[in-house]
Formats: sequence, structure tokens, C-alpha cells
Amino acid sequence: MALRDIKPTRSELIALKRRIALSERGYKILKMKRDGLILEFFKILEQAKDSRGELLAKYRRAVETMAFANTIEGAIGVKSAAFSVKEVPQIDLKSKNIMGVVVPEIESSKVKKSLVDRGYGVLGTTSAIDETALAFEELVEAIIESAEIETTMKRLLEEIESTKRRVNALEFKVIPELTEARDFIKMRLDEMEREELFRLKKIKARSV
Amino acid sequence: MTAMLVGPAPYIYVCTRMRVRKSKLIPRDEYLRMLNMGLPEITRFIEETEYKTEIDELGTSFKGMDLIEIGLSWNLAKEYQRILDITPGFLKEFTTAYLRRWDIQNVLTIIRGKMQGMSQGKIKEVLIPAGELDRVFLDRLLTEDTPERIAEALKGQKIYPILARDLPSALADGSLARLENELYKQFYSDLLVDARSGVKGGPQFEEFIKLDIDITNIKSLFRLRGDNLQEEAGDMMIPGATFSVDELQRLNSMENQNEFIDSIKNKIKLRPLLEIIDEFREKQSVRQIEVALIRVQLRQMERMAKIYPFSIHPILSYLEMKKYEVFNLRALARGKESNLESESIKGYLVM
Repeated sequence: MALRDIKPTRSELIALKRRIALSERGYKILKMKRDGLILEFFKILEQAKDSRGELLAKYRRAVETMAFANTIEGAIGVKSAAFSVKEVPQIDLKSKNIMGVVVPEIESSKVKKSLVDRGYGVLGTTSAIDETALAFEELVEAIIESAEIETTMKRLLEEIESTKRRVNALEFKVIPELTEARDFIKMRLDEMEREELFRLKKIKARSV
Repeated sequence: MTAMLVGPAPYIYVCTRMRVRKSKLIPRDEYLRMLNMGLPEITRFIEETEYKTEIDELGTSFKGMDLIEIGLSWNLAKEYQRILDITPGFLKEFTTAYLRRWDIQNVLTIIRGKMQGMSQGKIKEVLIPAGELDRVFLDRLLTEDTPERIAEALKGQKIYPILARDLPSALADGSLARLENELYKQFYSDLLVDARSGVKGGPQFEEFIKLDIDITNIKSLFRLRGDNLQEEAGDMMIPGATFSVDELQRLNSMENQNEFIDSIKNKIKLRPLLEIIDEFREKQSVRQIEVALIRVQLRQMERMAKIYPFSIHPILSYLEMKKYEVFNLRALARGKESNLESESIKGYLVM
């Protein structure tokens, strides 16, 4: 806001004071929100670290069991057993609110199945298929869990970033400019008051 | 089963042929040597053996590991068909009956592939026509649009009655697991009927079937216990051998491992099996147990082939050993491809 555009009037000063008070209140609230979000973020970060580590371990295990299954049953046996998979996991997407940030809450149908529910017969397969199926079921569960945590973390980060920008804008741009404008108006009003007083004295002196 | 009047000469001939073929199988030392080879060397080794024809034949359609694996499977299927061609009389009928397990596997693969909307070509890649249903018949099944039509096309085959009975409920349920178990149970039941039909050589065939059923049931028990599955366990057990379904169900519900193993040992009479089962008291993976049981089964089959040199045993023993040669070569190639350690691969080889 350029100072030359400001009208040095009392009403403007009152309006500016109101805006400053509002900005300072907003600044305090946004700062508290930012700090709160950062605290939430660190909580989620711990969970994300755990879930990512778990995901990686489960992925490695799944790849390893697949390699073993290919070794024991051959790709033919594994593909043939894979034809038994009859359903894909159903994802139910809900949302929850963390300090104004809408984050996903993912609920999934049961991925891990018992031996009888996997769709292949026990008598025509070996335990290598069971181990591989179990490892991949666990991997899918870990992916679903990670998806929720990682998306929450991403949304929180975006919100922290935007809140930080707003806090900085208020702290270093809006509030200083408003304060400067207020001071300018105050100064101009004081000066105008002094001029008025001087003029009155001059008139009084001439009339005497 | 119709009786056929044949003299002993064809039996002696085919059993001798089996012994010769068995002697040509890859020996244990060769597997140990292959464990130290890299994938290209193993591939070259396979290409230089009797699998060469199939590898060359399929070379234009497949490449890499898929070529090796499908080549090995094709060789197995062809070898089984060749054996059926030279096997006479009752032995042929027993062998055909025994190879029907491949038909179950192929038919189920086709039905599952169709249910998943897979293309004919993709399903065909995973078929191993080593049973009674040959490649032409399986190709015809592949052209059918729905599982119901596939079942109809199998009218007159041994597996048709179970398919006709259980397929509608399996399709409604979306799972073929129960149907698969029922087909295998019926398969063993048919084998026992054939063996007990009073034909010559039947008792020897029955002896093998019972061994196979016992080993399969024990393997299933360990798998079910590993999964803590109590209900429906009886549906996965095959009756007709040492254990009744009720006994197997009871064994499955035992919580104590030692008690479970003691109970199995009380019923089993086969010495090598008794010895190996004792080793399962210590914690082992289900796969290790399965491999150990397969080894015992093969050794026992070999023993029976020596006791009854002109019976079904030398043929079945060769069929199984040939199957495990293919499985071993595949395991070596796939294991090396996946960078598994030689010791790990060795644990899965049946030699």
C-alpha cells in the first residue's frame, strides 16, 4: 500500500486500527494453527516412518516368496493359482478433519484370507502358493494403510506450507504496512492539528 | 475296466524300458554341479539334453525363462504320452487313470482363466497336456465361451459328473476351491475303484494309491495346521487309505504338536515315513516338510518298483521321477534367475 494513496482522515485511521487488530488476531490464530499442524505432522511422521518401513519389509518378503514360488511351482503353477483370485479389495473412502485439514480415512474389505477362501484347492497346490498369497495379502493391507498415512502427511504438509505463507505475509507484509499507514495517518493528523492550531494563533494575533 | 488278454512279454518290455529311461534321468551329482552354475550355463545344459527338441520348437514363440519352463513342461507332457503309447493292457489303463490328475489341473486352469477373462493364448501357455485330454481336446475347450459350456464339452469324461454337480454352486460362490478338492477326491476314489476291480496288478496299484493318499493327507494336515484352519478341514482330506476323514479331522484339531505327531505315528506302518515324521517335531517350514515327504514317497516308490519289477510300480516311479526332474530343472533355472542362494535352491530340489 503506497502511502501517497492513503487519505489521512480520522475515519481511515479508525478503519486501519480495526484492520490491524483483525490482522494481529488472525496472525496469532494462524500461528497457533501452524504450530498445531506441525505437532500433528510430527505425530503422523512417526507413523509414516513405521508404515513405510513395514511396507518395504512386506514388499521384500512378497518378492522373495514369489521368487520361491516361481522356483518351486514354476511361473505356470503360480499363474494357474493366480487365476483363482476372484475379488479385488473394496476400498471405502471416508474423510476426517485435522485442524481444518480434510484427510482421507481408508477402510478396506478384508484382504487377508484363510486357506479355504483363497479360491484354490488345497489338494492341487503346495504350501509355496499359500506363503506367496499370504505375503501379497499382507503387502496389499500395508499399501492401504500406508496410503492413508502418506496422504494425510501430504495434505498436512500442504496445509502447513500455506499457513506458513499466510503467517509470514501477515507478519512481514500486511501488519507492517498497516502499521506504517496508521503511523503515517497519525503523523499527518497531528501535523494537520498543529497547522490548525498555528493558523488559529495567527488569526487571533492579527485580530488582537 | 475291461479285461485284456495279453502275455507277460509286453509288461516285461515296458518295465524294462522304464528302467532304461530312469537310468537316463539327471543324477544327483549333476544337480549339485548345476547348483554352482550360472543361469546361462544351466540354460545351455538344458538345451543340450533331451529337452532340446521342445526348446527349439518353442524358440519362435517364447524366450528367456518362459521358453525354458514351457519347453520342460511340453517335454514332460510328450514323454507321458509316449509312455502311454508303449504301455500295454491294464498297465495302460492304470497309467491313464493316474495321469488324469493333469486333466483336473488343465480343466480348472481353463475355467479359471475364462472366469478371469484371460485370452485363449494366455491360458494355453499354462496348460500341461500330460493327461488323458490331449492338446487338441484342450484347444477345443479353450474355444468354449463359458465354464458351463466347458463342462458340457467334457461330457463322457471321468471328471464330468463332479463338474456337473458342483460347478453351478462354485460359479455362484465365485470360488472353485471346493470343486477342485472334490475333483481330486473323486480322482483318488476312481483310482481305488480301478485298483480294486479285481484285475491283475490291482493290489500293487492300490498300494501306490494308498501311499499317495497318505502322503497327500499328511501334507494337507501340516498346511492346515500352519493356517490354523479347523473348520472344513474334513473337506480337504482324501478317504480310502490309512486314515479315515474323521481321524484326519481329529488330528487337525490337536493343538499339541508332539501329540499330533505321535497320533500319526500310531497309524503309519511305513518305516521311512515313521522316521521322517519324527523329524517334524522340531519346527520346520511347511515347504520343508512337503519336500521331505515327497522324497520319502519317491524312495518308497523306487523300493516298490524293485519288489514288483513287472508291475505298475516301475512305470509310476518313472513318471514321478521324470516329473521331479522337470521340477528340479525349473527350480534351478528360476532360482538362479531370482538370484536365490544355491543352498536355498538345494532345499527345494527333490533328488
